[in-house]
Amino acid sequence: MKLDRRKFLKIGAVAGGTAACSVASPVMARDEREPDPNWYGMLNDSTRCIGCKACQVACKKENKLPTESTLGDDKAFGEAIYDSPRELSEHTYTLIKMHQDENQQATYVKEQCMHCVDPACQSACIVGALTKEADGSVKYDAGLCMGCRYCMVACPFSVPQFDWFKAIPSIKKCTLCSETRLSKGQPTACSTACPAGAITFGKREDLLKIARKRIEAEPERYLDHIYGEKEIGGTNVFYLTKPKVAFASLGLQDFDYKAVSGLTESIQHRIFQYFIPPIAVYSILGGIMAYNQRRKKEAGKLGGDDEY
Amino acid sequence: MSIKAAPLQQKFITPNFWVLIFFMVTGAGFAYFRFFEGFGSVTNLSKAYPFGVWIAFDVACGVALAAGGFTTAAIVEIFGREKYHALVRPAILTAFIGYFLVGLAVFFDLGKYYNIWHALVYWNGTSVLFEVAWCVMLYLTVLGIENIPNVIEQFGGGKVNLPGPLAKFNGLGNWFLSKADWFCRKTMSFFVIAGVVLSFGHQSSLGTMMLIAPYKLHELWYTAMSPLLFLTSAVCVGPCMVIFEGTLATKFFGRKSEAELLGSFAKYIPLFLGTYLLLRFGDLAYRGVLAQAFDGSVQGYSFLLEMALFIVPYFALKSKAIRMNGTKLFLCALSVICAVVLNRFNVFLIGMDMGPNWNYFPSVGEFAITFAFLALGVMMYKIGVNYLPILEEEH
Repeated sequence: MKLDRRKFLKIGAVAGGTAACSVASPVMARDEREPDPNWYGMLNDSTRCIGCKACQVACKKENKLPTESTLGDDKAFGEAIYDSPRELSEHTYTLIKMHQDENQQATYVKEQCMHCVDPACQSACIVGALTKEADGSVKYDAGLCMGCRYCMVACPFSVPQFDWFKAIPSIKKCTLCSETRLSKGQPTACSTACPAGAITFGKREDLLKIARKRIEAEPERYLDHIYGEKEIGGTNVFYLTKPKVAFASLGLQDFDYKAVSGLTESIQHRIFQYFIPPIAVYSILGGIMAYNQRRKKEAGKLGGDDEY
Repeated sequence: MSIKAAPLQQKFITPNFWVLIFFMVTGAGFAYFRFFEGFGSVTNLSKAYPFGVWIAFDVACGVALAAGGFTTAAIVEIFGREKYHALVRPAILTAFIGYFLVGLAVFFDLGKYYNIWHALVYWNGTSVLFEVAWCVMLYLTVLGIENIPNVIEQFGGGKVNLPGPLAKFNGLGNWFLSKADWFCRKTMSFFVIAGVVLSFGHQSSLGTMMLIAPYKLHELWYTAMSPLLFLTSAVCVGPCMVIFEGTLATKFFGRKSEAELLGSFAKYIPLFLGTYLLLRFGDLAYRGVLAQAFDGSVQGYSFLLEMALFIVPYFALKSKAIRMNGTKLFLCALSVICAVVLNRFNVFLIGMDMGPNWNYFPSVGEFAITFAFLALGVMMYKIGVNYLPILEEEH
């Protein structure tokens, strides 16, 4: 019994170390997902948008969504606010928001699901209810969903919405009109409705070319950056903005170029790689237990009952 | 030194019993609205805070605070510290109750609760939640099995005596218990180790969970080390929960003080806490974010309070005089428990910075349902120790 404490510490350190290595060894980036050339997407040109909200109406019609009233809100805010409703919700899959710069000049920006190349929601969903489809859309399956709302936490754009006032709630978000229109060879409802040509529907590859052409043709009109080409591993919806209006001020955050799920996935992968770490920890603990039990037997009865 | 556990067999319906019933009934009232009128009718959850107190406290803290089970089992059964054998049964029982409540809280928090079984069938290996769900489920099963010997000890060997018309099942009950006894004797070592490995798995995975949101979680807590920190802090809080529950059980059931045994058991806590704090500060220093703790933000203050609650008991519990003083030991254990609870809140709620337009504070309904879960847990513990041989018999 003399060597107890030291031995305990030593063994503990070894076991802990093993566990630690399995969890916290330098996390490497996993393979980046490449965009498929056949994926569809949209190009939102905020320099062209006139803020008429026709796309919002078209979206509501296409998805049979109820209206949301913001009448009377101006009293609470002290001034009338253009954005209506204020945020995406379970009844609003796309929304035009206004940004005003110092000179009171307005820029309009459209919000909807970005249909990421490597969607965080897909990585996070416990049952795989969110999937990247062959047409490029991120599809939600209400029948599979458990309603845990982890996708809402995971999405860096906070796009997925939840039916807060339904007994049986689902996640609600833009579908890229995948089933209602794309499958019939039609473009998205919002892009069709836009009278200003601010929403361009097309294949991801083509949209990038169009965007580059526009920037080249009118460099004084555009900031030389296509938002969504690389951000968080790339999205299927792109944005263009005016040279003096930063994307961040339009609510499009300055994200890194790697997918947000990279870290969690590589940690998960590391812990469960061929089940080696759990089995190793199991074996070490089993060894220690066997050693202690044998020692106990040899030392005769040390007291205590023998069950488990 | 023979150790023999026995059921308390005390009067069951006490004033405390009615207090627990009151909390449970209140919670059930709010639960009606949760299930039939939607989350919006009882909770303050929003698009910015889809996870509220049910996830942060009932699930994240629940899992951490149930760590007493696997830490005690590891210390006693695996590392052979037989001296603390009396602490194993209560720890395993409370862990079982804790995980049962975690499961129940998840059921309440899931929008489509009737799809909870989908986690078993539809696998998404990239999801952290998937791993958490499996480990929690398997560990709850393991804890159930680890509690079977207590039932066998009480009712095994032909002592099943069901009341009234159920008496015809006595024979079946006896047969079942004898089989269970045989099974447990053969396999218990396997399950004890499995319990520890599974705990390692999901305690750490809970730390991975919020790493999916690098642009939402505050830098003080967003670290690749998070899983390891969650695991080590769970190991720290395990013995503290044993002390906390042991002290309260002594008080409420009017039993002889276990201060000496608990005080001796507490010697592991500074060891665990030291490891944790070393990792934590090493990580913070390596990432160079410590300065953000002093920027005067809510997150900064919350971080400082969390650290203080960890550090004070670390130094205090190094002194044997404090460990052997029942009250001071209890307060130190409570401090570590609060620290871990605050840490989970910081990661799941307070550290989730969603911008100035968004805030979240739990509603009355969310509190009421949380209290109902706690009351149910205490009630289950009361039933357990009253009718099963959990606590050591007094001499």
